[in-house]
Amino acid sequence: MSSVNPSAPFSAEFDPNSQEFSLAGVVRPRSADEIATSLSTLKEAIEEVRGVLYINVKRLIQMNNTAFHAFVRVVLDACRARSDLRFVIITSSVVGWTTRMFAHLNKLEPQITVEVYDSKFYPGQNFVENTSFIPILRTQTKMTWRHERAILPRHGMRPGIVMADICCGIGDFAVLVQKEFQPARIVALDHSKASLAYARDVAAGFGITDIEYTYGDASEMLLEDNQFDLVTCRHSLQIFNRPDVLLGELYRICKPGGRVYITNEKNSHCLGEPRSQSIQWTYNEVAKLFSHFEMDVELGPKSRRYLVDAGFEDIIVETFMVTNLDGDPRDFADVIMAWEDVYAGEMAVKRGDSAEFIQRFRQGFQDHIFAALHPKGYAGWPIWVASGRKPL
Amino acid sequence: MHVAEKEPEADFEPLLQLEMEMGTFLSDWHHCDQLSTFVARMISHNRTDPVRHSNFFSSALNELLEVLFRGGSPDGQIGCAVYRQGPTERVKLTFPCPPRQRHFLNEAVAKARRGDALARYLDSISADLAPTRDAVLLDLAINFDALIHLEDSAPSSITLVVDLPLEGIVT
Ligand SMILES: C[S@@+](CC[C@H](N)C(=O)[O-])C[C@H]1O[C@@H](n2cnc3c(N)ncnc32)[C@H](O)[C@@H]1O
Repeated sequence: MSSVNPSAPFSAEFDPNSQEFSLAGVVRPRSADEIATSLSTLKEAIEEVRGVLYINVKRLIQMNNTAFHAFVRVVLDACRARSDLRFVIITSSVVGWTTRMFAHLNKLEPQITVEVYDSKFYPGQNFVENTSFIPILRTQTKMTWRHERAILPRHGMRPGIVMADICCGIGDFAVLVQKEFQPARIVALDHSKASLAYARDVAAGFGITDIEYTYGDASEMLLEDNQFDLVTCRHSLQIFNRPDVLLGELYRICKPGGRVYITNEKNSHCLGEPRSQSIQWTYNEVAKLFSHFEMDVELGPKSRRYLVDAGFEDIIVETFMVTNLDGDPRDFADVIMAWEDVYAGEMAVKRGDSAEFIQRFRQGFQDHIFAALHPKGYAGWPIWVASGRKPL
Repeated sequence: MHVAEKEPEADFEPLLQLEMEMGTFLSDWHHCDQLSTFVARMISHNRTDPVRHSNFFSSALNELLEVLFRGGSPDGQIGCAVYRQGPTERVKLTFPCPPRQRHFLNEAVAKARRGDALARYLDSISADLAPTRDAVLLDLAINFDALIHLEDSAPSSITLVVDLPLEGIVT
């Protein structure tokens, strides 16, 4: 059984500031005595809090009945002894059995309620997870792949590796990587069910059966530590409101000596000629619009700092510019059209922008398309690529 | 009554089968965790969502192995086979079982199949005692939608057959 990785370590912690008791990892004791310390932590937490105790089991990967029963016993006893106290158990939609198991507690004690945290967990989630993002992702990857296929080997991509694409979107990158580089294994994770369904269809259409698409929260993954030679995460640190947390998770699942590869934009640097001013105005506004929803689409040049802060070494940063000269200029125009639809058509509307603003906002995209299709025009979209090695 | 005729797994595709000396299995509690993690990963790789399927499956299999561990004596062999039919995995655990235990196991399986399984499960959660074998089978029936039955195998052993429709729950 030596090929089995050791189970994720178990932890039980109480944070008095947030009144939150958190259970994480794998806990499969033979008897409740083995988890006596954790049970005491829970009892002490109950003594200390007022009003509500949050019990966070988002990162609880496995818990056997022995442990479940022991923890629940403490909570049920507390319900009887303390009618002033409520318990909110926070589960994740990713770990299906926790939600099912803990949901029963409300039937036993109405003081206990169960919430699924990741139904609304980052501000941009609604835009990014519904189907309207799919045309954006599809057209983008088609354009970026031309560049990235040449760039990736410098960042650790090679045949036979074990890799993960985190925040894989519609999974087209994973399919392209599979065909071009033949890694031994690819896990592709996203939290958008619509995108994953699309991804599985695309892979099936290509006759590809060995990409492991999985539903998950990139900031709280079920994947074990130290298992991937290369972890890619493209255009996603910039749309999640806590990029440092996400990067910490990428670091965790990466093997020591392996690399984490991230790509991000700086939207205000999109450019075009002619009509450069209108184009520039609109993309400055794109950056502001995203920051309204706590997304930082200016993150690209900050990649180096994020990687250093997360503990990576041997950091490589490079940039490339997707342009209208990369092939058929219509492809470039398609990307911009997809952006206009969602950014002006949905996000600005959601922010409550005036019709005048939206009209001017749209004009910049139209001018970018004009520049892209103009026989003497030039249109560009810059991308920052960065990777770092996890120390041995 | 709940010991069915040994039915061939006609419509089930065999995925994996392993055997172990009971003595070896009982030598370390962590074998339950290790075996369930290993088997879950092996059989989940071509499920729609392999990571989550494996997590779910490991949870269920570990409970079954823990039941065997707690009730086991160091003679004979334990066999674990997994089959698949559509969205369902069938786990067959074969293990030595003296006649007296057979009776209790029969009862536990019968309770997990009855209409009042949920009420019994809730009782078991709020009970003071550590979870029993009955509670574990109820947990599987309620939280994993498991269908459980027993089959007679060799004279002194029995086979616990657990159908787990996890693909549907996971995706
Ligand atoms: C802009 S898209 C990029 C998708 C893909 N990497 C690409 O380049 O085509 C961002 C993706 O990140 C996903 N995402 C954002 N935050 C996430 C999280 N915490 N967990 C999992 N996925 C997340 C979204 O669902 C979305 O598919």
